[in-house]
Amino acid sequence: MSHGQQPILDPVLAPPFPQAALPMLRDSQLRKNVAHATDVIQAKRARLVAEKPDWQALRSAAARIKDEALENLGAYLEQFEEQCTARGGVVHWAADAAEARAIILGILREENASEVIKIKTMTSAEIQLNPHLDAAGVKVFETDLAEIILQLGELEPSHIVAPALHVNRSQVREIFARTMGLSDLTDDPHALTAAARHYLRRKFLEVPTAISGANFLIAETGAVAIVESEGNGRMCLTLPRTLITLAGIEKVVPRYSDLEVMLQVLARSATGERMNPYTSLWTGVTPGDGPTRFHVVLLDNGRSAIRLSERERQTLRCIRCGACMNACPVYRQTGGHAYGSIYPGPIGAILTPQLTGLKHAQSLPFASSLCGVCYEVCPVKINIPEILIDLRAQVTDQERGKAARFFDPMYLGMRVANLLFSRAWLFHAAQWKARIVLRIFTRKDGWIHSLPGIGAKWTQTRDLRGLPKQPFHSWWKQRKQASR
Amino acid sequence: MSAMVAARAAILKKLGAGTGVSGGAAPSELIPRDYIRRGSLDPDARVAKMIERLREYDAEVTECTPDGLAAEIAAQLARSGRKTFVVPSRLPPEWLAAGYNWKIDGDLATEEVESCDGVLTGCFCGVADSGTIVLHHSAAQGRRLISLLPDWHLCVLRASQIVETLPEYFDRCIQIPALVTWISGPSATADIEMTRIKGVHGPRFLNVIVVKEQGPGTRD
Repeated sequence: MSHGQQPILDPVLAPPFPQAALPMLRDSQLRKNVAHATDVIQAKRARLVAEKPDWQALRSAAARIKDEALENLGAYLEQFEEQCTARGGVVHWAADAAEARAIILGILREENASEVIKIKTMTSAEIQLNPHLDAAGVKVFETDLAEIILQLGELEPSHIVAPALHVNRSQVREIFARTMGLSDLTDDPHALTAAARHYLRRKFLEVPTAISGANFLIAETGAVAIVESEGNGRMCLTLPRTLITLAGIEKVVPRYSDLEVMLQVLARSATGERMNPYTSLWTGVTPGDGPTRFHVVLLDNGRSAIRLSERERQTLRCIRCGACMNACPVYRQTGGHAYGSIYPGPIGAILTPQLTGLKHAQSLPFASSLCGVCYEVCPVKINIPEILIDLRAQVTDQERGKAARFFDPMYLGMRVANLLFSRAWLFHAAQWKARIVLRIFTRKDGWIHSLPGIGAKWTQTRDLRGLPKQPFHSWWKQRKQASR
Repeated sequence: MSAMVAARAAILKKLGAGTGVSGGAAPSELIPRDYIRRGSLDPDARVAKMIERLREYDAEVTECTPDGLAAEIAAQLARSGRKTFVVPSRLPPEWLAAGYNWKIDGDLATEEVESCDGVLTGCFCGVADSGTIVLHHSAAQGRRLISLLPDWHLCVLRASQIVETLPEYFDRCIQIPALVTWISGPSATADIEMTRIKGVHGPRFLNVIVVKEQGPGTRD
């Protein structure tokens, strides 16, 4: 925020995580905002999870429901298509982002749409839909309060559930006062919310075309379900003539009754509510109630490849609740922008590189302490640490063949270490030499705070314990001799 | 168009379509369903929990007997200070108290619904565990937009419609509905510093009348 430069949330262009994280770590306002927001959500979630004696059983059922859908994904998608089409919907398939954008723009052209209202959808951000529509002359109005803040303030999202949690009330006041022309607006959240309500009311009533995402696609009936809080979603789903829903192919669940599990775990995990204020479900087109034209765009964009490995397939269970990022000790320090993707936090660290086929965002699997809290809070039991470790191995394997790696100081060091650790006498000799050299850098408190050259890579972000005067093996030898 | 047909074929090929689901054993039996399906509260406690959970999320709740319902509706309308109300096409006529403008929906124009001060509906079900009201948008519950645009929603919930757990609601769906809205409290947001603000775009006020059974312990 305060550093005028915008973060880059495109994994193709974004800098590696450690580099992107630096300006975030120096922004004390941003860190304060993120810490406050994640603390509040976590406390609410913990209280509501504790009141559910069957929480672990719900998690297991939710994971299994998603697994069943993913194992038979093709068949369930075909069933969804058949049912949705029978109820008057039009189903489109998009292999990648470009195809999805072209399909959506094609529908908007057919509708002669110059404006479109939108419910918050992460999938549309993934395919960078808004800039594409803007460039094509279609004006996009985001309607979720957080999304309005970001759109009017020309800011980037930093969380998948509360995308503006890095912005505080006085920053929101500044954005609304400037862009809505309300100079006497206060920073009371009530006043700010009322301003958003007023700003959008006419748009809801007048714009005839809407775009939404989806939380669940029901294969059994061809229905779509969306969870939300504000009612902006219901407006977009009910009032326009035409509705376009963009959904990742992994959103499908087999049966209507599967929602009895999914709806119980989603809101509790996402916002710390027993249920979010509004959940809407609709099936194709209903005469007399809601849009008369309904399109669903099913997006692959790398998902089918993630599905091929049984371990990585877990990634696609994700129901986008954000609990993993709220709990993550790394996310809580850096906020979302450091991840260089619209999917931040632990789930982003596994999802983003996989969506690019591991061609980009290779630093993200390393942006974790592997503490496991993300796995513990995940409502669909995605073993994120396990996938992080596997992706680390894949990234390392990828680099193994690279010629540049031979001269890379880090890998050079690794090879030297490999040699030293394989022979005891070499190890002892190296330890002895290191003790002499490192003594120069060791301060009185016994810690090394800064090293020159390649060593600086370590001491830039952490201190190093100075080597002890006597190594363990010599102490052990001495002790044995003494006891004899 | 042909590009899309190609995309469909390519995606389904990658997914190995047709494997598993068709023909095999019913996969739903593989889901571990040892979570709580049936509630354990007696009817009075169930109703009490529903009321408590509704209130916790800022809904206003009053109680009455079946005989007192019409009077309770009239009292709520009077207290709201509002004049014009939209209603679904098939509400009991005695609910429509005299002295107010009643707009009976069928195919009212959006602007006409928008101009109403409030809405009065029935519902399909109430889920006590989460304080949720479920609308299936039948003729007594109305089209989706009538319970969305007016700022004040008065909803009648009979004790016999209240279940304790969400799975119990799904058990009641003999036919799978085409349209559903689950409502848990009035419209809200926490997007600014996680401060919960009641009322954004949906109704800012949700009032629920819980109609208790006539005799003690009466079951539906």
